[in-house]
Amino acid sequence: MSQTNNYYVSRRQQNYSRNQNTTRFQSAVKLGPVAHTVLVALMIIVLGLIYVTQATRTTGYDYEAQKIDSQIADYNEQKSELEVENARLTALETVKNSSVAKEMTTPANTQYVQE
Amino acid sequence: MKPELLQGSRSRILASVVLVIAAVFVLRLFYLQVIQHNHYVSLAQQEQVKKERLPATRGEIYALSGDSPVKLVLNETVYTVFVDPAVIIENDSADKVEKVMKAVAGGNVVDDFDKLLDKEDSRYQIIAKRVTRTQAEKIKDEKLSGIGFTAVSQRVYPEGQLAAQTLGFVNADGVGNYGLEGYMNDELAGKDGRLETVTDVSDVPLTIGDRNIREPAENGKNIVMSIDRNIQSKVEQALAAGIQRSRATDASVVVMDPNTGRVMAMANLPTYNPSEYYKVNDAALFNNGTISAPYEPGSDVKTYTMAAAIDKGVATANDTYYNTDSIKVDDRTITNATKGHTGVISFQTALTWSLNTGFVTLAERLGNGKDITKTARDTMYEYFHDRLGLGQNTGIELANEQKGIIISPDDADGNAVRYSNMSFGQGLDATLIQVTSGFCALINGGNYYKPTVISGYVNGEGEYVQNATPQPAKLGVVKETTSQQIKEMTHVARSSFRGIDKAGYYIGGKTGTSQVIKNGVYADDETIATYLGYGGSDIDHPEYVIMVSIHGDHRILGGSADAMPIFTDISNWMLDYLKIQPKG
Repeated sequence: MSQTNNYYVSRRQQNYSRNQNTTRFQSAVKLGPVAHTVLVALMIIVLGLIYVTQATRTTGYDYEAQKIDSQIADYNEQKSELEVENARLTALETVKNSSVAKEMTTPANTQYVQE
Repeated sequence: MKPELLQGSRSRILASVVLVIAAVFVLRLFYLQVIQHNHYVSLAQQEQVKKERLPATRGEIYALSGDSPVKLVLNETVYTVFVDPAVIIENDSADKVEKVMKAVAGGNVVDDFDKLLDKEDSRYQIIAKRVTRTQAEKIKDEKLSGIGFTAVSQRVYPEGQLAAQTLGFVNADGVGNYGLEGYMNDELAGKDGRLETVTDVSDVPLTIGDRNIREPAENGKNIVMSIDRNIQSKVEQALAAGIQRSRATDASVVVMDPNTGRVMAMANLPTYNPSEYYKVNDAALFNNGTISAPYEPGSDVKTYTMAAAIDKGVATANDTYYNTDSIKVDDRTITNATKGHTGVISFQTALTWSLNTGFVTLAERLGNGKDITKTARDTMYEYFHDRLGLGQNTGIELANEQKGIIISPDDADGNAVRYSNMSFGQGLDATLIQVTSGFCALINGGNYYKPTVISGYVNGEGEYVQNATPQPAKLGVVKETTSQQIKEMTHVARSSFRGIDKAGYYIGGKTGTSQVIKNGVYADDETIATYLGYGGSDIDHPEYVIMVSIHGDHRILGGSADAMPIFTDISNWMLDYLKIQPKG
């Protein structure tokens, strides 16, 4: 009577075996506590600068928006002035006194087309 | 062995002092930053956060020119120019400022403005008002020191005085007074917005901060009136000519569309310039007489009495009565102004010649035929007041409407004598707009429309949005057959004046001459002349109703001699303007 033993080998084990010559990198540079502190401080400064840059840029947009608002107000004012001028030029009194109106005559007779 | 500070050594004392100072700092900072936190936050906000009102633009007012809206009242930004005399003196620039101001804004400077520049003890003096933007730009270009500008929005009236009393005006505080400006002030004013934001030193709003609020302003509504500027202009012209012709002092006209209640023109003379309202010395000029000056309407109201009698089935135009030129009511005798048409005459004749006795007779017939009984008085009150709107506000969209007085028959004064007078238009006070609105119902088939001066509005995109066609406020105030008879009777009455109307049209009307009460009694030397009528292509299509009143101090004016020519002038012009084709 024969006996068969089945051994299960996981894929990771297989891979490990396949890369068994891989070695772990170990840096020769060792950072001390002072260097860590300096690095953290630098990171904070960089992040702070980024924040300040962004905040300043937003404020820059505010000035731009203010400039545009001011231009819009100016154009609106000009538009109002033109509308007033237009209304004055088309007012009845102006039209009546125009050279075209002065040359008009009252029709002697009016004929209607019967409905 | 660890180094230790020796007890009482100088280092230890220094350490203690440093500790104490540090503790003081910490406590002070705690006080400032924690305990006084809210106080300093509010101080900082006051300094940094700017609260600003975003003013709403006041709505514009349009009139119609045919079917299209045209601007009658607009807004314009003008500037008040002020100076700081101390700065001007310091820079020795008074001469230059004076020269520039005279050259650029000569018509707008205040009196003796050059003297204001030398006021050493003052830091603020206004030297010019209502300077336009172009003028302000020119002054700014001169780069004068010590000079500043304040923007002010003001109403502009390109048509000048046209329809002034219907429009009203806006005072220096931006509040509408009188007319449409007063009545619809809230709608026209809009709602101011609000801005709360952190600003820089130049007041430029910044987006930093978490408490920024920006609520945009809601601009006022742009209202389109039903007033047609061409008709309005013609009416004002005709009124001015009428006043001159009759040497009168004041006159009023209402022109209405009887089929909608829309007022097409409404004018009073004398009037004022709304852009210079502050120059008016007599506040009575601001009143729109057509809605706020009740008077005894006189014989125009005979059409009302006639309508009530026809509607109640007690008389027709051809029914007759015996005229003796006088009639007794209780202890009073009422006489006719026009005498001679005595004997058996028809009510048509009574209307044509405006004979008071005929209408007192009708009032009696509304009762028992002999007296103006309580039933007769109740019927007259019902028609005059309840159905045709005399003595009550019409609800027209204009400020200061007065309702007048019509005495109820339940009142002690509402007796037979009072109602006999009312039958020919005396003993009651009504406004022109009330009489005109009621008459519209009498000739349009019997439907009462609330008079309106509003036709629609102009939306944000500049489109004219018309209001829905007005519906009658009261249906069938008189029967259609009654309305037809009133039209015929007034047409016959008007036809007695030959050759005044254009041929082929159907025009009707009634004269009125009412006495004026002075110091509680009727004056012998003063009357108000009126004319009330309609016009159209034929009897079934009245297109307009015109009511004219004209009055002069110590002047006896007559309805046919003084008011009717104004009606005729306007009516004949209206036929052409409305392009009504003759059918008769």
